[in-house]
Amino acid sequence: MRRQFIQRILGIFLLIFSLTLIPPMLVSIGYRDGELPPFAVSFALTLVLGILLWLPTRGLRGDLRRREGFMVVAMFWIMFSALGTLPLLFGARIGVANAIFEVVSGVTTTGATVLTGLDRMPQSLLYYRAQLQWFGGMGLIVFAVAILPMLGIGGMQLYRAETPGPMKDDKLAPRIASSARTLWYIYAGLTAACALGFWLTGMNWFDALTHSFATLSTGGFSTHDASMGYFHSPAIEAVADVFMLAGGINFSIHYIAFAKGQPRAYLRDLEVRTYFAVVAIVIALCTWVLLGNHVYHHFFTALRYAAFQAISIITCTGFTSTNFAVWPMFLPSLILIGSVIGGCAGSTSGGMKVIRFLVLFKQGLRDMGRLGHPRRVDSLKLSGRVVPERIVDAVWGFLAVYVATCAFMMLLLVADGMDQLSAFSAVVTCINNAGPGLGQVAANFQHISAEAKLILSATMLLGRLEIFTLLVLVSPSFWRK
Amino acid sequence: MQFLAIQRVVGLLLMVFSLSMLTPLLVSWRFHDGVHTPYLHAFAVTLAAGLLLWLPVLRVRQELRIRDGFALIALFWIVLGLFGALPLWLALRPHLNVTDAIFEAVSGLTTTGATVLTGLDALPRSILYYRQQLQWIGGLGTLMLAVAILPLLGVGGMQMFLAQTPGTTRESHLAPRLAEAIRSLGYLYLSLTALCAAGYWLAGMTPFDALAHSLSTISTGGFSTHDANLGYFNAHPGVMAVAMVFMLLGGASFALHYFAWHRRDLRLYFQEAEFRTYIAVIGITAAVIALYLAGSHHATPGHALLAGLFQAVSIGTTSGFVREPSSHWPAFVPVLLLFVSFIGGCANSTAGGIKAMRFLLLMKQGWREVGRLIHPNAVIAIRVGGHVLPDRVLDAIWGFFAAYVALFTLLLILLTAFGLDQVSAFSAAAACLNNMGSSLAGFGHHYGAISDGAKWVLAAAMLFGRMEVFILLALFRPSFWRG
Repeated sequence: MRRQFIQRILGIFLLIFSLTLIPPMLVSIGYRDGELPPFAVSFALTLVLGILLWLPTRGLRGDLRRREGFMVVAMFWIMFSALGTLPLLFGARIGVANAIFEVVSGVTTTGATVLTGLDRMPQSLLYYRAQLQWFGGMGLIVFAVAILPMLGIGGMQLYRAETPGPMKDDKLAPRIASSARTLWYIYAGLTAACALGFWLTGMNWFDALTHSFATLSTGGFSTHDASMGYFHSPAIEAVADVFMLAGGINFSIHYIAFAKGQPRAYLRDLEVRTYFAVVAIVIALCTWVLLGNHVYHHFFTALRYAAFQAISIITCTGFTSTNFAVWPMFLPSLILIGSVIGGCAGSTSGGMKVIRFLVLFKQGLRDMGRLGHPRRVDSLKLSGRVVPERIVDAVWGFLAVYVATCAFMMLLLVADGMDQLSAFSAVVTCINNAGPGLGQVAANFQHISAEAKLILSATMLLGRLEIFTLLVLVSPSFWRK
Repeated sequence: MQFLAIQRVVGLLLMVFSLSMLTPLLVSWRFHDGVHTPYLHAFAVTLAAGLLLWLPVLRVRQELRIRDGFALIALFWIVLGLFGALPLWLALRPHLNVTDAIFEAVSGLTTTGATVLTGLDALPRSILYYRQQLQWIGGLGTLMLAVAILPLLGVGGMQMFLAQTPGTTRESHLAPRLAEAIRSLGYLYLSLTALCAAGYWLAGMTPFDALAHSLSTISTGGFSTHDANLGYFNAHPGVMAVAMVFMLLGGASFALHYFAWHRRDLRLYFQEAEFRTYIAVIGITAAVIALYLAGSHHATPGHALLAGLFQAVSIGTTSGFVREPSSHWPAFVPVLLLFVSFIGGCANSTAGGIKAMRFLLLMKQGWREVGRLIHPNAVIAIRVGGHVLPDRVLDAIWGFFAAYVALFTLLLILLTAFGLDQVSAFSAAAACLNNMGSSLAGFGHHYGAISDGAKWVLAAAMLFGRMEVFILLALFRPSFWRG
């Protein structure tokens, strides 16, 4: 571990972060909402600190090594979260635990909130929250498309071959730079299209912009307490449906579809096909049960709410158009469990990711097939390609630590005094970076204890870092020479 | 598939099982509770069914193959579950419908211990005895299958125990292995039960209660003859101590008991990785619960320690005995215990759950993935007790774990579809899938009030849990029936 190297990257983070505070300042000036000082102070502070860290190391050259890669990735999210709380702390109207929870939820594109009375909040603050999610999503794309496959966390080497940019280059930095640029263009383009869509279907430009930020990043922060339910507009929900789905698709596939002009790429990809199938099945089940239980009387009304809620939670966005926690029978659990599968690898969504789910499923079938035939030799194939045993192992390992983390966090919450249903749903929704839960945390996370908020913040970070990134950092052998 | 050979074995099994319906008659006669006809009728029906299956294939000399083991195990539990329900269904007290009778019988045979009955204290003694006996038979069956057949089938990595079967048999034929297991372990099981009964009696139980509870203790079942479960004996600390010792023995590997007994060497226990994991999990759970109860002023330190120890042993071995209603505890305790029941006891035991050995290997492999991330080119082998485990075993354990988690999720959704709230569904699914029985965080010990649909789902959950998930799943695969 080279300290100076880390210091340099930290400095650059701080500098870039300080720049991201300029747009909220402009919003504050434009709306005269009186929130300029906290943003300005945070801006100055991070800028100066960043320069101080960066200046002594500016001449440093060299490539990022594997171990430093883990360090940098973990630090990116933790620093981003820590710095992001500064404007909220200087604004000093919500407590420290609330500020941390809100910012972590934004940065990890979770979308769980502790704030109510959003409709009357200063615009700059609302914009800032949305922007946190958008940058969180941006970081995530690089992380998911370029870094995860390189580090091989949880079997994500699977995607190494499909990343745009120089393929055979094993060095992190050039690879990240080249693929990031391409993918960010696509991300920004889709966001612009989404904002335009929202504006055309009736939002004002401010809502359109902030909601498009939260949609493409599959974040889920809204500028209204009622979330998307505020607009009562099927058209707006339809636009959101489309772009949430887009946010849950591997951005490399978007790249092939757009930059190379092959829209068929979506259907050629096994993961995207499975993702669509999962979404379709959940929507169908929800519509059926909603109609059967007379929650909605008209087929299209039921379909509209079912589709929006299913897409929102499976892509781990977390917008709500109605309180789905009170839907009948198994629907709340079903939708919540849908978020465990989540979107595609290489997208901004959360959850375990469809590709891992596919590997697990196929492996389960293979093991069953082996039962009657103890000496059969068979390999696991995805889209006709053999998946190496080592990758399969890594996916299994991911499942195990994922389940263990959920159980552990749920125990902590219950030990802290939360009821079982709320604790279960809060952990599931936070580790998958989805947003709303059930029971006590159905609408927002305001009324849980300060410790619970910190526990859940940690859960969101663990989910975002795919657990292993943090596990690696606490393992003794990581620090040994 | 050797259908005729399987038919022959099932016929024999039913005939032997029918004999178990005669022992409650002795109890009935001794206590004058007036219940005779249900046992006689059930005996006649079961014996007749057995004969009908057995007679036509009397002269068939087909050898059972390994793959027939799947069908055999599945039939063992399902057929015995159905016929075992007969006396309960036929009896006037308790007046059970078909669903309840089957639920109770399956819960007994799978050594789960979930019950639909209340007012146990007032029920006829022979009925109470019959329930306890079902658990004892179930425990014996679990043991035989786990030691003799599962390693052959290689379900969930059990092939690693292939060399551990007591006796000299190393061959891969079902029948000799089963015979060998019964010879070597049957006596052990019987003697431990007798010891347990003697212990209970000395600690203050009536002879009937001592016998009845010993049957459900060594089988890690959890049925009791009292509504208050073991809480009925709270005034006798000795009873708690005996219960804990024999639950721990029931949840430990019987192959290990066998070797320790034969070589007269207790050190064997602590040389074995699985046993150490099993004890560590229970010990840590007990400590955490005791500290939490004492720390949050729910109990005096002494009471907290006893509650922690007893509950950790009872749930960690998937017995499911309780000393006090779980509603007395802060919500943390039942949730922790539910999670612990997933780990369960040792592999060659009467316990349920994922099993300590698999849990240990899952942890080792999770940690190996961390190591592989740091050193991507390192070759890291997984060892247990100095032996490197083959990849195929590890694969099978992952598959088992994934199937277990997936099945649990499916059960959760099905149970909420049948009207349970989410918390009850979570705990009932965990309690039944792990063959533990006590729905700690939901509605407690009594499953009488839930819908019939939910009872069927839970009965299926107990069977899936007892058959290590994959045995039933394998039968659903078309490729299994080919060739």
